[in-house]
Amino acid sequence: MEKLLQVDDLRTWFRTSRGIVKAVDGVSFDVAPGKTRAIVGESGCGKSITALSILQLVPEPAGYIESGKIHFGGEDILERSWTDMRGLRGREIAMIFQEPMTSLNPTRTIGWQLSEAMTVHGKDAPAARARALELLERVGLRDPNAALRQYPHELSGGMRQRVMIAIALANRPKLLIADEPTTALDVTVQAQIMSLIKELQDELGMAMLLITHDLGIVSEVAHDVSVMYAGQVVEAAPTRDLFHDPRHPYTQGLFASLPARNRRGKDLMTLDGIVPDAANWPTGCRFAERCAHRLDACSAPPALHGSGTHRQVRCHLPSAMEVTK
Amino acid sequence: MSTTPPMLDVRHLVKQFPKRGGMFGKREVFTAVDDVSFQVNRGTTLALVGESGSGKSTVGMMLLGLLETTSGDVLYEGRPVIGLRGPERLALRRKLQVVFQDPFASLNARMTVAELVMEGMRVHKMYANDAERRARAQELLGQVGMPAHALDRYPHEFSGGQRQRIAIARALSVEPEFLVLDEPTSALDVSVQSQVLNLLRRLQRERGLTYLFVTHNLAVVDYLADEVCVMEKGKIIERGMVEDVFDHPQHVTTQRLLAAVPKVEM
Repeated sequence: MEKLLQVDDLRTWFRTSRGIVKAVDGVSFDVAPGKTRAIVGESGCGKSITALSILQLVPEPAGYIESGKIHFGGEDILERSWTDMRGLRGREIAMIFQEPMTSLNPTRTIGWQLSEAMTVHGKDAPAARARALELLERVGLRDPNAALRQYPHELSGGMRQRVMIAIALANRPKLLIADEPTTALDVTVQAQIMSLIKELQDELGMAMLLITHDLGIVSEVAHDVSVMYAGQVVEAAPTRDLFHDPRHPYTQGLFASLPARNRRGKDLMTLDGIVPDAANWPTGCRFAERCAHRLDACSAPPALHGSGTHRQVRCHLPSAMEVTK
Repeated sequence: MSTTPPMLDVRHLVKQFPKRGGMFGKREVFTAVDDVSFQVNRGTTLALVGESGSGKSTVGMMLLGLLETTSGDVLYEGRPVIGLRGPERLALRRKLQVVFQDPFASLNARMTVAELVMEGMRVHKMYANDAERRARAQELLGQVGMPAHALDRYPHEFSGGQRQRIAIARALSVEPEFLVLDEPTSALDVSVQSQVLNLLRRLQRERGLTYLFVTHNLAVVDYLADEVCVMEKGKIIERGMVEDVFDHPQHVTTQRLLAAVPKVEM
């Protein structure tokens, strides 16, 4: 199938006093139209920087895209200048972040911010205002008319995230990038927001790139999942396959470390050691130091074996290679 | 049934805050904790769960004496603790320690790890001198899985999981009996969370510690806690053994909370 978004060998690096920090270091994945791919990983694995790279929003001047290709709808959008990206951002590709309070302007009303999202892309003001009301209704604000005149601080966290979703969807984007969209919310609100996002996704036929650390959310909403560790994708597969049978020792470790009823009274699996320093990645497998199955071969960097439609694993172990044949 | 009193006996605890914006001296109050009672038995773990604003952290703060109660009683080993002053209060504070959610905010950045872990021992005049306290600090850090060279470093030099271990070593330094754990793993990645949970389980086993676990993470409760109290709007709306409550939730809020947890289908 034609891919909507295709990221190839992306490297996003940062110049720092400690040297070059290779936060994203050779990441590839794709997103099919209307489908959801999740990128999961723990703090510092590079998942958020990957998301920001797609929109060319990496904090400059320290951060820069060293190499790689990002195709969106067939066009290599890394060729676009930062200003040319403005035609895409918020129109074709929209993004929502973890903390809506910091992404909304505290000095402007909800109605103003929602209308602005549309007028910058050419809609006239009365039409934008009418659509704003419609959007607030759609995302489930109790009193959308009142909300138009309210300021962000007057709304709860869950309501603010609904407003962010309304802004993101105002121009019917083809791709929504959601970076930890529910992490700051209570679990029942989180469930409401995720089901709202899924509903709207179906309605608009929109694809989603979901950045999260929450394996439960991945299990419930993503079609495909890429697991990141130390700036790279270490395993990728359709969600069901990956959850049923994780093959990379890091992915296995993540699942085994989850607390659950059937693990009561037993120790949870832990990953000993810490993530290596992004300014100084090991030359071989980046997970080797923490891996219980380490081989001699692991002193050489493993490639990401396998096919993008089935499963890919970045590991030298025979058990990992086998599924990718 | 045992005849010994529960380790902690909380009776009809209430906390009210004055509401802002009361005009013409009209005093309105907001009831954050509304007639909360529960008991925790020695060596067990009671989880206090609920969404933000349910009052669960406020209960923890009152038990620790970090917040005054409006009314109600708290008995520790059968003796009332509210209103204690002087040496009696100090003695209780030694037995009851706390570990907070955010290991970035709860450790003084200007103190070395050694100073952080020794501070409580100094306050409670434990051990003869600083050399002995330092040796004890080193021992404690070893028990929570921190390297010896951590002693002379500062908290910012460590990861979130390591800082949480330092916070636990600090809490253990005064030989407490009871730990209030307020979202101790919420700021941590899952692979680090599992290390901290394993550590808490081991410490409970080895030292017979009693835990009050304040959290919104129901998976952690299902794994670790013996009993659970579910809070909503300042009240306990359901309580019982974790298996009973989670498998047969009676209150609609408990059912809603449990249904909202995304399931990892493996």
